Amino acid sequence: MAFDHEDLDLVRAPRRMSADDAHERWRNSTGTLGDRSAYKRVWDRQARDFDVASLAVAGHTDEPTMDLTARGFIDTLRATVGLDRNDVVLEIGCGIGRVGKLLGGECLQWFGADISGGMLGHAAARLQGLPNTRLVELSTVGLQEFPEDAFDLVYCTIVFMHLYEWDRYRYVEEAFRVLRPGGRGYFDNYPLDSEHGWNVFTEGARYPIDRRPAHISMASTREELGIYLSKAGFEAVRVVDLPNQLIAATGRKPGQGARRRP
Amino acid sequence: MNPAPDDPNLRIAALTAEIDDVKRREAAFRAKMVNEFLDRGERNSYLHVLREELAGLLRRQQEAFADMELFTRMLEAEGQEKAALEVELEGIRRSWLWRLCAPLRASGSSPRAGSPVPPGGSPVKGGVFTYYLHTSPFRIYREPTFTLRGWAWPQDGRAVSAIRVDLDGRLFVGRHGLEEPEVIERHGPQPANPRPGFEVTFETPPGRHLLSLEAQLEPSEWRSIMKTSIWCVPPGA
Repeated sequence: MAFDHEDLDLVRAPRRMSADDAHERWRNSTGTLGDRSAYKRVWDRQARDFDVASLAVAGHTDEPTMDLTARGFIDTLRATVGLDRNDVVLEIGCGIGRVGKLLGGECLQWFGADISGGMLGHAAARLQGLPNTRLVELSTVGLQEFPEDAFDLVYCTIVFMHLYEWDRYRYVEEAFRVLRPGGRGYFDNYPLDSEHGWNVFTEGARYPIDRRPAHISMASTREELGIYLSKAGFEAVRVVDLPNQLIAATGRKPGQGARRRP
Repeated sequence: MNPAPDDPNLRIAALTAEIDDVKRREAAFRAKMVNEFLDRGERNSYLHVLREELAGLLRRQQEAFADMELFTRMLEAEGQEKAALEVELEGIRRSWLWRLCAPLRASGSSPRAGSPVPPGGSPVKGGVFTYYLHTSPFRIYREPTFTLRGWAWPQDGRAVSAIRVDLDGRLFVGRHGLEEPEVIERHGPQPANPRPGFEVTFETPPGRHLLSLEAQLEPSEWRSIMKTSIWCVPPGA
């Protein structure tokens, strides 16, 4: 289902709540690890209130911080895979449109795809007035809604930690399909071998086995991300360390029209 | 393209701008392509896959009905051949040679009787109809009644004024004049039969029967749309 901005009447007005309330509601909305593969249900449940949704996908609820982190990510894109005003861009797992709100102004057209229609409802409200943005609800894991050879850049940020490994690879494969020849792919996650990644891992390990939440973060290894991109067919695959303690795997779809990374 | 200026730097700048413009137009084309792809509606989506599967199942169902019809025709042909052979056998039994050899066959068993062939079919003449049956009659009937639903019109353009089923001479009158908007959309307006749908319920007592689906055409002539043998078994059999 594709959202246009006319769908805004479906979006509930954001209801402000205290940070403690938001955290409490988030904890109550996350489900258990057995639900992890039911991404649509898990993330729709966390999308019922804007503050909870914001906390779930961005880690904070205030707009200035959200814009700041989005700006930082756009700089990361520029430094790793490059960004051009003529780029047709797809974000996998765009959530509430944290990045799209700013990136929409820096590319030809930005498409935001997410498996949670609830998250996209909030994104539609935040992207109001940006005519070159479009939101698409994914029916399941994958990018079935999109044609092949269409995008200059496909990226997926702060998403892989919430997916099982098979689904991470599925998105890499699908990104490769929808990229035009020469198009660039970007995927990030916490690295297991960093201090932060190890903290994420040990925090997860501390959960009682029957109370691990469905969205619990799971780190990646550098090899894992590199292998995904290579197996999917990307060339010029690189795994780079980012200043925010993430690692990013980048690559280019082979074929005519390939251009040098800036 | 503008005439190239003499200054090489200006020429480079002009060419770069031109290349950028081409890139922008190419990217705009791809963005438009994606938007149109999305506008066409859920293509490649899970819902689309389900719709494709549904269409495939409907096709398969129609193929199965066609297979069943063929099977029924073959069975009818076999039945007719069997009847002809029985007539021939009866002729042999009446011959003097058969009677002469009777003592030799005294210890032998007589051929088993086959299932009774139903009495002659409906006397109504066949007609040329365009029709489709939503509930195929080519099946094993396991319920005490069955409702045949479909649509039909005669190709001579006359109006259908009634629908019935003749089952071994028993008549079951149905409803006609039911809406079939998708059929009209596909085949075009049918002035004499704007609502070509019908349904007729008939009893299905165990055994083999001859079924004739019939339409009354104006002014009052009955014509058969299709005829077939049917087999009915007791419920649960």
